[in-house]
Amino acid sequence: MSNNDTQRTVTVRIQRFNPDVDKKPHMQDYQVKMWPGMTILDALHEIKTHQDGSVTYRRSCRHGICGSCAMHINGRNTLACKTPIINEVKKNNTVTIGPLPYLPVIKDMVVDRTSFWEQYLRVKPWLIPPDDIPEREFRMSQEEVDALHDAEACIMCGACYSSCAVIGLNKKYLGPHALLKAFLRVLDPRDTAPGERLEIVSQADGVARCHTIFNCIDACPKGLNPTQAIETLRKLAQKRQKYEEAKAERQKHLNEPIPS
Amino acid sequence: MQNSDVITHDVIVVGAGLAGTWAAMTAAENGVKDVAVLSKIHPLRSHSGAAQGGIAAVLNNVRPVAGTGPRGPLEQIPPGDDPVDSFDLHMFDTIKGSDWLGDQDAIEIMVKDAPDVVIQYEHMGCVFSRTKDGRINQRRFGGHSAPRANFSADRTGHVLLHTIHEQALFHNVHFYAEWYVMDLIIEENIVRGVVAINVLTGDIKMLRAKAVMFGTGGYGQAYKVTSNAYANTGDGVALAYNAGAPLMDMEFVQFHPTGLYRHGFLMTEACRGEGGYLINKLGERFMEKYAPDKMELAPRDLVSRSEQIEINEGRGVMEDGQGIFLDMRHLGREKILERLPEVRDLAIAFAHVDPIEEPVPIQPTAHYSMGGIPTTVDGEVLANANGDLITGFYAAGEVSCVSVHGANRLGTNSLLEASVFGRRAGRAIAEFIKGGAKLHPVPGDPAEKNRKMVQQLFDNDGSELVEDIVQDLKMTMTNKVGIFRDEEGLKSALDDIHKLQERFKNIRVMDKSKRFNTNLSMTLEASHLLTFSELIAAGALNRQESRGAHSRTDFPKRDDENWLKHTMAHKDEDGRPKFSYKDVTLYWDRFPPQERKY
Ligand SMILES: Cc1cc2nc3c(=O)[nH]c(=O)nc-3n(C[C@H](O)[C@H](O)[C@H](O)COP(=O)(O)OP(=O)(O)OC[C@H]3O[C@@H](n4cnc5c(N)ncnc54)[C@H](O)[C@@H]3O)c2cc1C
Ligand code: SF4
Ligand code: FES
Repeated sequence: MSNNDTQRTVTVRIQRFNPDVDKKPHMQDYQVKMWPGMTILDALHEIKTHQDGSVTYRRSCRHGICGSCAMHINGRNTLACKTPIINEVKKNNTVTIGPLPYLPVIKDMVVDRTSFWEQYLRVKPWLIPPDDIPEREFRMSQEEVDALHDAEACIMCGACYSSCAVIGLNKKYLGPHALLKAFLRVLDPRDTAPGERLEIVSQADGVARCHTIFNCIDACPKGLNPTQAIETLRKLAQKRQKYEEAKAERQKHLNEPIPS
Repeated sequence: MQNSDVITHDVIVVGAGLAGTWAAMTAAENGVKDVAVLSKIHPLRSHSGAAQGGIAAVLNNVRPVAGTGPRGPLEQIPPGDDPVDSFDLHMFDTIKGSDWLGDQDAIEIMVKDAPDVVIQYEHMGCVFSRTKDGRINQRRFGGHSAPRANFSADRTGHVLLHTIHEQALFHNVHFYAEWYVMDLIIEENIVRGVVAINVLTGDIKMLRAKAVMFGTGGYGQAYKVTSNAYANTGDGVALAYNAGAPLMDMEFVQFHPTGLYRHGFLMTEACRGEGGYLINKLGERFMEKYAPDKMELAPRDLVSRSEQIEINEGRGVMEDGQGIFLDMRHLGREKILERLPEVRDLAIAFAHVDPIEEPVPIQPTAHYSMGGIPTTVDGEVLANANGDLITGFYAAGEVSCVSVHGANRLGTNSLLEASVFGRRAGRAIAEFIKGGAKLHPVPGDPAEKNRKMVQQLFDNDGSELVEDIVQDLKMTMTNKVGIFRDEEGLKSALDDIHKLQERFKNIRVMDKSKRFNTNLSMTLEASHLLTFSELIAAGALNRQESRGAHSRTDFPKRDDENWLKHTMAHKDEDGRPKFSYKDVTLYWDRFPPQERKY
């Protein structure tokens, strides 16, 4: 890539919408001079601070860990801060940016995430530990920790949620993020409420709604696999009692060293 | 004041990072029913979630394999074997790291509360990495002489933040997500409440409370290259200062040795904790010259200075010579994938370099604010150097200065500080409320005053863009109030800052709408940057010595005779800072000042 190429001026086409003044969303073009390594978030910052302060989006960490900046970039949900602009302006020298789909728009790229957080609360995201709390840590094997990886690494950005066709039709569906959280607790050897949790996820708007279209996997900027977690929950829900028993058995040994 | 405009709670916590959430959760757990947390971004977006490397605590779960030296591999300590770590050692490391400016009573409390707080995280569901026999795994970290960084791969802050947030939800803490606090009301040394914008609607409200706690985090955004989030604009320190509270030790700003070249994002110290090397243009492990014993795992101030010397003397890497290489290739694919997956991802995404195959270009990056709102070990805010309190006002975490980090913080001690002192503040607040704390009247109409102020900003229509002022400030702070400082540069920095404060009067806010106006919040944040940056520069100019992260080329030595004391900055009537000084708490018999060598 020549320097000239990385420093050219490109068009950033943004879907604008402020419900207080606009009847419907419209597109607005901005010209931005790229610099090497520029991300979509950098471009938005440049526009907001030098051209049009009313362009509105959420952001904080700048490096893909806080989950604020998920948006719709060239037809795909992803994090603005982790997307180099150079990769997105191949067609017509233009990148098109809008809010996450399926959610009410508050202003420009800022969407109303109420339903997203409500579903998160519905699965009771907190751990429900055993009554008998030891002085030191509960013992867990690294394998048990690894099994939780996808659920534990989730940054609640919502890219999966708003790419899910089921959510598009039915906001009562728990959604991939909340199901991942449920998975985290169901699989955690320290959690004492797997039965209750499996009950919640097997209700009408739970795991059964997932049509395994895999949109969430494609969308997830952290490379996580909510569909597989949903599959696991579905299977565990079918043999709930057995799973509860196995877990109760495991919990008898939470204070003992993992045998080598 | 119209009633509909006023919201009332027993306790208002500002900030939903680890410090604020611990305080809120603990107050609720201890019987306070009406606890509310305000956060300008959604709680789970708080910057605590970006912390990577670990949280310190003496757990004695692992030790170096015998005979392999201080940098050899680690193994779990078999049951019954002798511990390798102790409270005294953690205290000593922290005190030495602080260059003796840390208050030793506070350090002792932090160190002794540490195991309990980490175990509480574990019991609340935090997913830590594990040893073979299932204990919490630990790694080495800079300036710590035993492996005591308890970690969850390289997203420790993320798992801690999610865990504590969920517990706060469980305890019915009420969260106001996306409420921007713009004013703190203190009258007659008693806290009355805060004024905040509901970002969604643009409405400005007075929120009254018997106790207000600040956990608003740090202020790395004053610098050009920083590991900090956009949100880290030091609102809390500026609001407290403007409301009449003092600020302590503001001149101590930590530069982390391994920010990703040009971007500043953190490549966690765990990269070196796991064994990574720092290499200059000549391929030398240059830390041999500066810290032959601890090498790359010397404390951050020392490593950042060493890097800067290498760069200044022409041994930097990259086109402009402003970089250094962080070489992790010898750690091997497996270890990098297991222990450092997020930083590998960052290096690939932003520097197009896979640490498994190539060294990663890095440079020092503004990282942590040692200074802040002075507090007791229970989070109560001091009104002055004599130790008087501001009734009902609490602070903990990076916004505060208790002071455990003194002149330089050790890695993994700040997640710890935010947790330990957040929890202690929560307990103290519960005592305060249950002891019959009163809701004190609010004089005047602060909400209306702030509405008028915002209207004036909108009507101002000057010719300056806020961003231009912010960028100029960042250049000044980086070039003149950065890793190395001297009188000439600091004077000129103060001059720059005063001019920027003047220019700020002539700004134009582009977005004048009510709904979700982040242009407005960014403008308020810029004014905060200008407020506290002056204190950093002025404090640094006064302090004629080099200590920890404050390094004066014209006063290269530490001067205990004159400067073993905390700086306290007060806002004077004329709006300029006035300085006083406060003694450091030292245990002279146990940890007397020594020369600091690594
Ligand atoms: C990249 C990075 C990595 C780090 N890694 C480590 C590590 O491995 N180990 C370690 O010990 N430390 C680490 N640190 C430092 C540590 O993460 C922070 O010091 C600590 O998390 C601060 O926590 P806090 O609760 O004080 O503030 P934060 O987590 O920053 O929270 C601040 C809160 O205040 C709110 N807020 C701020 N201003 C306002 C306002 N005006 N109105 C309303 N709300 C407001 C924000 O919304 C946020 O909720 C790291 C720091 C960085 C930048
Ligand atoms: S699963 Fe992935 S896409 Fe979905 S919220 Fe979590 S991090 Fe975002
Ligand atoms: S800004 Fe935090 S994920 Fe993009």
